[in-house]
Amino acid sequence: MRGVAFKSAVDDHVLDELRAIIGDDARVRPDQSSRAFRSRVPAPFPVHRWADHFPDVVILPKTAVEVSEVVKLANRHRIPIVPRAGGTGLSDGAVPLRGGIMIDCKLMNQIHEIDLVDRTVTVGPGINMLKLNEELRKYGVIYPDDPASYPCSLVGGRIGTGGWSLLGARYGHTRDLVISMEVVLPTGEIVEISEGGGRKLRKSSTGLTLKQLFTGHQGTLGITTQATLELVPRPETEFAAFFAFDDYMKAYETVGVLTRCGLATLAGVVLFDEWKIAYLRRDDEAYIPQPESVKAVVAVAMYGRRLEVEPASREIMRLGRSRGGRYLGDEISAGDWASRHDRYATPLHGRDLDGQAVIMSWHCEDAALNYSVLPQVREEWHAIVARYRERYGIFDDWGMFAYTSGPHKPWADYLVEIDVGIWEQKLDDETWAAWVSCKREIAEVSLRYGGSITACHGATREGDAELVPQELGSAWPVVKAIKRALDPNNVMNPGKQSLDEAYE
Amino acid sequence: MGDQELEFAQRWRDNAYGCFSSGHKFCREVCPVMQVTRNENHTPTAFHASIVAMEKGLVNVEDVADDFVHCTQCGACELRCPNTLMTGDFYRHRTRTVDVVKAMRALMVETGNEREAWKLWNERLALDHNEPVLGDTRVSQAHVADWAIGLDIPVGGETILFVDCEAAFFRTSYTRAFAQLLQKAGFAFGLMREQWCCGGPAAEMGYQDLALKHATHNVEDWRAVGAKRIIAPDPHDYIAFTEDYPKYFGEDYEFEIVLGVELVNDLVKDGRIALTHPVERTVTYHDPCRLNKRKGVHEAPRELIRAIPGLTFKDVDRVTQWSYCSGGGGGLPIEKPEITREISRRRVAKAAELEVDTLISACPWSERPLSEAGHEANLGVMDLFELVAVSAGIEP
Ligand SMILES: Cc1cc2nc3c(=O)[nH]c(=O)nc-3n(C[C@H](O)[C@H](O)[C@H](O)COP(=O)(O)OP(=O)(O)OC[C@H]3O[C@@H](n4cnc5c(N)ncnc54)[C@H](O)[C@@H]3O)c2cc1C
Ligand code: SF4
Ligand code: SF4
Repeated sequence: MRGVAFKSAVDDHVLDELRAIIGDDARVRPDQSSRAFRSRVPAPFPVHRWADHFPDVVILPKTAVEVSEVVKLANRHRIPIVPRAGGTGLSDGAVPLRGGIMIDCKLMNQIHEIDLVDRTVTVGPGINMLKLNEELRKYGVIYPDDPASYPCSLVGGRIGTGGWSLLGARYGHTRDLVISMEVVLPTGEIVEISEGGGRKLRKSSTGLTLKQLFTGHQGTLGITTQATLELVPRPETEFAAFFAFDDYMKAYETVGVLTRCGLATLAGVVLFDEWKIAYLRRDDEAYIPQPESVKAVVAVAMYGRRLEVEPASREIMRLGRSRGGRYLGDEISAGDWASRHDRYATPLHGRDLDGQAVIMSWHCEDAALNYSVLPQVREEWHAIVARYRERYGIFDDWGMFAYTSGPHKPWADYLVEIDVGIWEQKLDDETWAAWVSCKREIAEVSLRYGGSITACHGATREGDAELVPQELGSAWPVVKAIKRALDPNNVMNPGKQSLDEAYE
Repeated sequence: MGDQELEFAQRWRDNAYGCFSSGHKFCREVCPVMQVTRNENHTPTAFHASIVAMEKGLVNVEDVADDFVHCTQCGACELRCPNTLMTGDFYRHRTRTVDVVKAMRALMVETGNEREAWKLWNERLALDHNEPVLGDTRVSQAHVADWAIGLDIPVGGETILFVDCEAAFFRTSYTRAFAQLLQKAGFAFGLMREQWCCGGPAAEMGYQDLALKHATHNVEDWRAVGAKRIIAPDPHDYIAFTEDYPKYFGEDYEFEIVLGVELVNDLVKDGRIALTHPVERTVTYHDPCRLNKRKGVHEAPRELIRAIPGLTFKDVDRVTQWSYCSGGGGGLPIEKPEITREISRRRVAKAAELEVDTLISACPWSERPLSEAGHEANLGVMDLFELVAVSAGIEP
């Protein structure tokens, strides 16, 4: 460990202290199974080195005060703290790198307040968006954070990753939708983080704006214990249209046309490439097979009031067809859009080099890129994966998509993702290292094209975490200074995002 | 790590990897147990990961035994899993969480990692051949048909009515209502000579030998009276007879199994049971897990409810109901009654939001916890057959 010394493990004395803080032994869990299951997330993982990632003890707090007391204790003893919400993050943010105390916030899932006048909802970090919306729906409002992990990720983890929403073009992403929050700092203080001082204000100019700092830090700067979120009117209607193309570039141009159209109800435009279509076609009856001539698909979705969406949808149909797009029909459009959360991580879609189905895990390497560079990046990324696939035989290319990313300004920024299948059961030290270097090569391409190595999942894992200093460049010393100031003993999720460098 | 554990892990590993490799926990928020405990150890993901961890020597049965108690075997997670949803049709693949839980519990029994309350329960089952559903009051073969006193039901025949332990000794009104509905329709049926527990719950708790022994006894009893058709009003028995028994007896299992609610619905549709008495209630329906989630039976009970005159029916779609459960199944109330209570409390609270006066269920095992929760929330809980019987003018 660089810079700061850690206790090797949580000893009996620390356990006693933890039990005294929590006062309920069932919520202090040093047992093997509690530790084992909280040492992994859905991202491919060196299964053969699973035990390296066990936390020493898992705490299931119910209040901010409990969190604060546990963090103070950890800070005193220099024990790593790893916050965990849903454990669905794809960049290992919630996976301990050095053991320590895991703070699992799933029991903090209360709705504290629904304010229909100033349009906010205040919740604990352990609540899931789908569950929250089940409650909100009856008031005619929703919380519109809609990642593909909508049924499983939790608000705390969304804030921790600075997540990206499928409807972000219309409603914004997690960081735009969190109005304020309560955070336990690495030294244990409980602070209110907001725009200026008002808990329900969306914009202020008083002092420094801290809210962004506490979004997307992957649990390295503190633990959110409560969040006040944006409520939007429950959309009266939605419209989705899928268009097929026989040529990627025509599809790409269509995406440009659609995103620049200026319709405020536009919630997202997606561009699936040929590899992705092939993946979606595999043994999957939800996607009605298209003729071989289909090389790309563009999907577009709109949300809002009927009186806006209905006339706008006619314009969308015209634009979607303007570069030779073929409308795939109401059934595919509505059906595929409705199943948008379920299309990921289907391990049975994995193929080995002979085309045989093998159970593979899903890795998605995501980047934030400008529209101008999408075609070139696509070619380079596929070439990288092809090289590793050929050489090691345990990877598969599950295709790419580019998705609108700029909230309320969908024209220029894209979340671009290449999905790679990995035959996790076959991983050993050599192939794991190969995988990490494949990932790094992909991330390097993003930087070379003036992009960012991640738009939503976070650069937290081996492979891209090392590139964070490079991406942040001249701003990196500022980031390190902030980390050091807030977390003098490097107890908050140490080892992530190359932030150990702050202590060198 | 014992040989048994390794062998077990190897047997289940491929299935487990189907989940381990995705591991995204879409199943989590529909799991009734997880909704209450919020403990990641109690998720289907953890159950599958346990197998992988066991194969890697990272956990043993003892480590995970308590985790595996936390399941009602409702099947919601299997349905919600994208592996079932998206590739299920092509591969005939269904994520097998319920089977994994059952198998692990069997391993717990084999390796001496039993749970105390389950052990006691099954010891008493072994002794009395019916489950100890009356608590300290013993149940016995002498009283297994007491519910039928005065109904003149013969013993034996081609069609046998199988009565669940809970329904034979505890919720007897349900059983009487069902039998009288069949009688009203002129539908001929008989009772067993000696009816033992179906063995399903024992199998669910991991007591496989005991389950098999009871199944064998019942099948022999059916054969002895020349039965061809078995009616199962209780969804749990229906699962045992259509899933467990065929596994035990293979090709030699010759019986037609008829689900009670489908039978009664058919009899009503055919005009053999006339529903003439209006029932002035505002109701909603609780889809029992074994019907909706496990067997895809959701139409028949709804048709029946709609056939009852006078009722105002506020339905919730069957998919929304994937995340509901009474908490009464899979042995959970025996080991973790407080979790069952909370699951039922939440189910009843959901029903209350619809501003109904009655929650209708169609499973005797759900009715004890739901009724208790309903009592506290001032909401009536009734069995579908009892309601149908009222509408058919049957005096209990
Ligand atoms: C099928 C699938 C689809 C996905 N699709 C998307 C998508 O469309 N968009 C997207 O953005 N992401 C997506 N993801 C990944 C995404 O990062 C996570 O789903 C989500 O943001 C993490 O939420 P979680 O509750 O699971 O957090 P976890 O994985 O538990 O944690 C994520 C990070 O936040 C930190 N953290 C957790 N709780 C707190 C807290 N209370 N305070 C501070 N930090 C905390 C953790 O330490 C960790 O670094 C997807 C994942 C899956 C499995
Ligand atoms: S059971 Fe299915 S939904 Fe649940 S974690 Fe496993 S793969 Fe995902
Ligand atoms: S069967 Fe039901 S109770 Fe068991 S894990 Fe699945 S959802 Fe939870």
